[in-house]
Amino acid sequence: MAEEQKSTGPYRILIVDDEKAIRMMLLDYLENSYEIEAAETGEEALTILAGSSFDLVISDINMPGMSGPQLLSEIRVKYPGTKTALITAYNVDEYIKTAKEYSITNIIPKTVPFNFAELDFIVHGLVSGEIFGLARYLLEKGTILENHMIKSSSDARRIQNHLIELFESKFGTSGDMKLILDEIITNAMYHAPTLSDGTEKYQEFNDIQLEPHEYIHIECGYDDEKYAVAVTDRQGRLTKETVLYKIERQITGEGLLDDSGRGIHMSRLFADRMIINIDPNNKTEVILINYFSNKYRGYKPLYINEL
Amino acid sequence: MTIESILSTSLVSGLTFSGWALYFLHLRRRHSRSQNPSRNQAENVSARTTEKLEISKKELELVFDAIPEQVYIIDRNFTILRANKSFSQFVIQPVKKIPGNRCFSLQWNRECNCTDCPATTTFDQGVPIIKKLLSRSGNSDVKYYEMSTFPVIDNSGKTLHVIVFTKDITDEKQMIEQIIRSEKLASIGNMTAGVAHEMNNPLSGISGNATNLLRMPQKYGLNEKGISRVTTILNSAAHATAIMNDLLHLSNRPEQTSILVNINALLAKTANAVYINGSQEIERSYRLDEQLPPVQCDPSKIQQVIVHLVTNAILAIIDKKNTLLNDTPYKGHIVLSTQQFNNQVLINISDNGIGISDNARLKIFDPFFSTRPTGQGTGLGLSVSTKIIEQHSGKIFFETINDITQFSILLPFQQTNPEIAEYVTK
Repeated sequence: MAEEQKSTGPYRILIVDDEKAIRMMLLDYLENSYEIEAAETGEEALTILAGSSFDLVISDINMPGMSGPQLLSEIRVKYPGTKTALITAYNVDEYIKTAKEYSITNIIPKTVPFNFAELDFIVHGLVSGEIFGLARYLLEKGTILENHMIKSSSDARRIQNHLIELFESKFGTSGDMKLILDEIITNAMYHAPTLSDGTEKYQEFNDIQLEPHEYIHIECGYDDEKYAVAVTDRQGRLTKETVLYKIERQITGEGLLDDSGRGIHMSRLFADRMIINIDPNNKTEVILINYFSNKYRGYKPLYINEL
Repeated sequence: MTIESILSTSLVSGLTFSGWALYFLHLRRRHSRSQNPSRNQAENVSARTTEKLEISKKELELVFDAIPEQVYIIDRNFTILRANKSFSQFVIQPVKKIPGNRCFSLQWNRECNCTDCPATTTFDQGVPIIKKLLSRSGNSDVKYYEMSTFPVIDNSGKTLHVIVFTKDITDEKQMIEQIIRSEKLASIGNMTAGVAHEMNNPLSGISGNATNLLRMPQKYGLNEKGISRVTTILNSAAHATAIMNDLLHLSNRPEQTSILVNINALLAKTANAVYINGSQEIERSYRLDEQLPPVQCDPSKIQQVIVHLVTNAILAIIDKKNTLLNDTPYKGHIVLSTQQFNNQVLINISDNGIGISDNARLKIFDPFFSTRPTGQGTGLGLSVSTKIIEQHSGKIFFETINDITQFSILLPFQQTNPEIAEYVTK
C-alpha cells in the first residue's frame, strides 16, 4: 500500500494531539507514506492550515483550548476540500452525539496495541476516496475467498448459511457473523429498494425475487489477523446522517423500541469492526471484520465514508 | 451493690438481658446463703429454704444453659467454677468435667494466663470489661470474639469471682467489613474510572511507539538487545491495559446498552467459545429452559460474565486434573443451565473441578484476589462480574455441593417485548 501511495503523489496529513507520544507515534508511522505535519493544539493547527493545504486532518478530541470537534468543524467551513477524522483514547460511543452534532463520521480509537494496519486503510480511504472493495481492507497477503450475488430471498438464506459454514470450517469460528449477516443482508434486501414514492418496495420476511439492479453483492476474504465480509447494495440510499442518528438512538437507549436501526447498532456491537461506505444513490457497502485474536477489541471505532 | 446499680452497670456495659438475669440469680443465691436466721426459726424455714434454693439452682442452670454465648465463672486463680452448655460445646468437654480447669488452658490452649486478660482487670478494679479478640487455630479460618468480664462482688466490695462471657462475632465482623469494603469500592470505582480513561492515552502512546520501534528498528538505530527490551515494554503496556480495562468495569459509568436477549443462545454460544489449552477434554452440557422469555440486558456485558465463570470452571477442572495421578479416572464436566425463577432467569454454571478453599471463600469476590500465579489474570474477574450483574439489578452467588462448585446468576427479565425478542433471537 505504501508504494501505491507514492505513485499517486504524497498526500499531506496534519496530526493534532496534545500528547507528544501520540503525535510521534502517528508521525513516525505515517511519514513512510505521506507528508506529515504535527500540531499540539487546535489553534496551532489552524495557523499551520492557513499557510499550506492538507488532504486530511486527524485530531485528538480532548485538548487544552479548542476541542477536536470544534477544530474539525471550523476546518470544514474554511477548507471544504480537507478530510477530517478524530482519534481518541476514550469510549467512541460517548462521542457519537458530538459526532452527529459536528457531522464527524470517522473516529479512530487509540487501542493498545495500536492498530496501524487499520489506520493505513482508513487514512488511505479518506485521502484518496478509494473506499470500495474488500481487498483494500486486507493486509498485503490477504485473499479474497469468494464472491456471490444475491438475487432472491432464498439466495440470501443459502449464501448466509454457506458463509457461516465456510468460516467455521476454515477458521474454526464465525463469531457473531450469522446474526450480523442476517441483519445487514436483510437491510440491503428489504429496506434499500424503494418505489418511486419513497416507500419500501418489498416487505420483510416475504419470499422475493430481486430485479437485476437490486442484486446484492457479497465478498468475503481473510488475512493473517482477520476475516471479513462485504455486503454491497446498488441503491446507495443510506446516508451518514441516518447511520449516526440510528446508532446514537440505540446507544442512549432511546431507540429500544424503534422499528429500524437496531440492525446497524447490533452489527457494530457484535462485529469487531464495521465500515460503511456510501456512494449516494449508487451503492452502499457494509464491511464486517472479525479479528482472530482479541487484541484490538475494546472501544469500537466509527467508520462511515460518504463520497 | 444494689439491683439498680447492677442494672445501670449492665446498661452501661452493654450486658445482654440474659447476662443480667444470670447475674441477678447468682446474687439472689448468694444473698439467701448469707442470711443468718435464729436457730428456732431455722428448723421451720430450713425445708422451705432448701426447696427455694433447689428451684433457684435449677432456674440458674436453665438460664445459664439457654444462653447462646459461652459463659463461665472463675476465681482469682483463673479456675473455672461453673460453665454453661455453650462453653462445654466450644471446648468439647462435658459440663461436669469443666470445673477445676484453668480458663486459659481450656478455652485458648495456653499454659499461663493471657496477656491483657480482661478478667484480671475486672478482679483488680471491680469493673466490667469488654474486649474484642481474634483467634487463629491451625489452618482454619480466623474467628473473632467479643469477651466481656463482670465482677461478682461481696458485701465488703471485694471481687470474689468473675463471670466471663464470650461471643463469636465473626459473622457480624465480616458483615461490617463487607460494608466498609463495598463503600470503599464505590469511591475507588468512581476515581478509577477517571484514571483508567486517562491512562489509556499514554498507554496507547507507549504501545504504539514501541510497535513502531519494532517495525522499523533501522530507522531508530535499534540493535537486537534493544528490540528485546522494546518487546518487553510492548507486553507490559498490554498487561497494564488489561488491568485498566477490568478496572473500568468496576466503575459505575453508564456504558450500558439494553436490548432483549435470548439468554439460552447467548449462554451456549459464549460458553462454547471459551477455549483454554486443556479445555478440549472437558465435557460441556446444557440444560436450558426452552420456554425462557427474553431478558433485557447488555449482551456483551453478560457475555463477559459468562466468559469469566466458564473460564474459572475450566481452570478449576484443569487444576484438579493436575493434582491427580495420571491413572486416576477423572472426567471434567461443566453443566450450564437456565431456568425461570419468578420474574427472573436463574443461570447456573457448575463444575466438578478443584473447588474453592475455605480461605478463598470469603475473598473470591474481592478485587485483585486471585489464586493464580502473578501474571496470570488480573484477579478482577469475579468483582467485575459482580459489578456487571449488580448493574443489571441481578445477583451472583455460589455454593459447593459435594465436589460440585456452582456459580449462579439471577437476572430480572424486566421488560418483555416479543417484537424485540424475535429480532434478537432470529
